[in-house]
Amino acid sequence: MFGIFMESLVILKLYTGLKLLLFLTFLLWVYLLVREKERRNRVMFVYAPLIILVLFLFPLSRKVFVAAGLDPETYYRILWTIPMGMITVYGFCRLFEGHRRIGAVIGAALIGLCGSYVYQSDYISKAENRYHIPDTVIEICDLIEPENAAARVSAVMPPELIHFVRQYSARIHMPYGREMLVQRWAYYNAVYEAMEGSEILDLEKLLEATREEYCQYIVLSPGRECRQEPAACGLELVGEVDGYRIYLDPVTQEIVDSWQEYYEDDE
Amino acid sequence: MIILNICSLVIWLFLIPFCIGLVALPFLGKQRRRPGVALIAGYIFQFALLELVGIPVVIYGVYNGYSRFIKIYTPVIVFFALLGIWVLLCSRKKGEGWFLSGKGKDGVWAFPEMSTEGKILTALFLLLVLFQMYMAFTRASFDGDDAYFGVQAVVAQQLDSLYRVNPYTGRSAPLDVRHALALFPIWEAYIGTLSGLHATVVCHSVIPLVLIPFTYLLYYQIGSVLFQKKKELLPLFLVLIALWQLFGNISVYTTETFFLTRTWQGKSFAGNVVIPAVIWIFLLLYDHSKEKGLWILLGALNLAGGASSSLAVLLSCLMSVGFGFLFLISKKEFGILVRSAFACISGGLYVVLYLLLTHGMLGV
Repeated sequence: MFGIFMESLVILKLYTGLKLLLFLTFLLWVYLLVREKERRNRVMFVYAPLIILVLFLFPLSRKVFVAAGLDPETYYRILWTIPMGMITVYGFCRLFEGHRRIGAVIGAALIGLCGSYVYQSDYISKAENRYHIPDTVIEICDLIEPENAAARVSAVMPPELIHFVRQYSARIHMPYGREMLVQRWAYYNAVYEAMEGSEILDLEKLLEATREEYCQYIVLSPGRECRQEPAACGLELVGEVDGYRIYLDPVTQEIVDSWQEYYEDDE
Repeated sequence: MIILNICSLVIWLFLIPFCIGLVALPFLGKQRRRPGVALIAGYIFQFALLELVGIPVVIYGVYNGYSRFIKIYTPVIVFFALLGIWVLLCSRKKGEGWFLSGKGKDGVWAFPEMSTEGKILTALFLLLVLFQMYMAFTRASFDGDDAYFGVQAVVAQQLDSLYRVNPYTGRSAPLDVRHALALFPIWEAYIGTLSGLHATVVCHSVIPLVLIPFTYLLYYQIGSVLFQKKKELLPLFLVLIALWQLFGNISVYTTETFFLTRTWQGKSFAGNVVIPAVIWIFLLLYDHSKEKGLWILLGALNLAGGASSSLAVLLSCLMSVGFGFLFLISKKEFGILVRSAFACISGGLYVVLYLLLTHGMLGV
């Protein structure tokens, strides 16, 4: 039980980042605890958050959460029910209700200094298009997407493109996707092993795996070295986009085409 | 073409939900019969209807699920929107004159009557909201979960399949029971289809432009309740809340981080709309516990939350019962707890269905 409690405490610590904003919330919560007279607001912003926090840390809560079939990794979302922003800002407004101008300046300064600017994140960049996915991905997808709307193609992609490909076209399949990039999920995929298992790509090994999966295209990152010449392995270069080389495997393509013909005849 | 897209988006993202929300107004107190409340109520009902219509289609529509969903959901929401218009017209005939009675009595509506300081703060707040919308439109925020949730929307739109394709690879798969009840991505695909836009464009470029101001509309309502007797504090509250959202990125887990970097994901909707909406409703319920409309809204919200994530339903129901219990102690009014429990029936049924699906007790 103590172990579970400690785990919940770590989750709380990760959630708050132990940043000063948490301290600011705590100070204003104490202010409301002491000064807030309206019973409704005391219930919503003083008692309820405290009860939620206690329940969050209570080991049995986490056990019940997991037993209900919910993802243990989302346990932190219980903390969403503590409206930190509302508590702090309401506390500020009450504290400075007689001096609103000073309150606005001090409140804004403290939130800015104690918090962390959301757009400073490394994951935010200038959008290249309305899809908010890299132009490179769109160009590659346009190149390999079949003209026939009912047809599908399969392509093995370098890791940096994997997240985006199917956000643009669901008609492009991949032998593996994001599930292989999240290490803690620890999946195994033969094509992934062949593609990413070694620094220098063994194309013959990769082709063996991609043909098992009927994958027609292989996309290689700029500068990715191969043990064999792609042409020598029977691959055809169909295009190059921003340094990414897109190869077609004619052997797999022929097999897939024959299915296509079969299904069209069937129809 | 772009103008047509925009007109269509305005219809499906503002007009239809707004008209649906009008249905709720006769059940709400007179001071709450306002456009903002109608829009919030409309979104709540719209998502509750999304779940009511969508869940059976997802579970039993093995093939062409998405096109079936469109065929059923569209007439349903159009019917409720027309019903809302009819309700409004009836109220006009009765001379109730909704949307005019509150003019000048609170916040932004009373802009000309505000002090200079209030005007400056309100202008600053609007600038902060516009800035956040501008950043949402012009900045791309990478999140790995888009490879799942974003792709589910694209799969629905392009392959006419609902949660029966592995979004990572494209292979056919059994129904993804863990996520199948959360239809937020399907709604985004739906908005895209009706507006002639790719689902990913809707998710990344359109939805933030709607949900960011919508969330602040909710905060405006919360502020209006909190500062009912001290309206001059409302602009200060809103400015500081907008700043809090901008600087609340203290970890990747906070609702503030989700709000501005993953606005289009159901979980962000859960943290930034569903949970604040529960708080708003309970702030009102404390003094208006007999107001039917609020309980109807809460009941609908406890189901609507399911569109964003299964956990959202659980959280909103737990909050409902928890606040109900605290109000019981505070007000010595047992009825509040009973009504809170009743408002959780819709959410409770959702949770039961989720458990049946995830434990393999319902053949799909």
